[in-house]
Amino acid sequence: MAKNVLLVDDSSTMRKIISRSLRQAGLDFGEIYEAGDGQEALAMLEKEAIDIVLSDINMPNMNGIEFLREKANRPGIKDIPVFMISTETGEDIIGEAKSLGAIGALKKPFTPEKVNEVLGPLM
Amino acid sequence: MELEQYLVDATMEVFASMISIDIAPEPKGGGLPAVAADISSLIGLAGDFKGFLAVHCPEPVALGITSAMLGMEVTAVDDEVKDALGEVANMVAGGLKIGVATEGKKIGLAIATTVVGKALRTGGLSGADRAAVAFATPLGRFGVEVRFVLS
Repeated sequence: MAKNVLLVDDSSTMRKIISRSLRQAGLDFGEIYEAGDGQEALAMLEKEAIDIVLSDINMPNMNGIEFLREKANRPGIKDIPVFMISTETGEDIIGEAKSLGAIGALKKPFTPEKVNEVLGPLM
Repeated sequence: MELEQYLVDATMEVFASMISIDIAPEPKGGGLPAVAADISSLIGLAGDFKGFLAVHCPEPVALGITSAMLGMEVTAVDDEVKDALGEVANMVAGGLKIGVATEGKKIGLAIATTVVGKALRTGGLSGADRAAVAFATPLGRFGVEVRFVLS
């Protein structure tokens, strides 16, 4: 069954690019939901039937690491997988994200081909 | 440390991956390049480099970059243009961060801010060093600069 995706990024431009890249990659997914920071993402996860989250790290209000930490404490949503898409690629911060449950990371900038390669197996 | 080369590499990668506009770094002449900017996007740097990275664009280049990123024609400077330029600065700063990390230096990135005006210039940061590169595009020139104090 096609998965519903939540895009979390403070840049509306980047949310549109990721959404377009998923389509260009020909991936089979259901609805695409959007959130501008970690707080909005938590609210969206509590409300909608979302199967996978693609999240930035550097965001105002609640960043991607804080989002992962808070999500891990909420029983109803803690098992929803989160994949990071960020300019942050250092082992320290990606390691922290993975320790908090992130299942992988994709570096910005990216091409649609890279999106297909990395995210295809998850969809 | 060849900061200009890191800026070139990072900017070229952003355009090659996500913005279908041909760009070419201008040869380094005598002195730092000046670019007449109507829109500048700045991102704060912390860690071993304290300061900011900025992307400076005249309006036609900013509109072209935004149109290419969104896949639709954008004809006026609005919040989408400011957001798109902020994301360009964010990604270039991310590339710079990776570059300097190869030399054992760490940079922390803040959230990008974009300002719109006429003939924008950056200043401040007393005692800071500056590295800058101008790029040529079919739509005009734009510039990327970093002003920093090494700690």
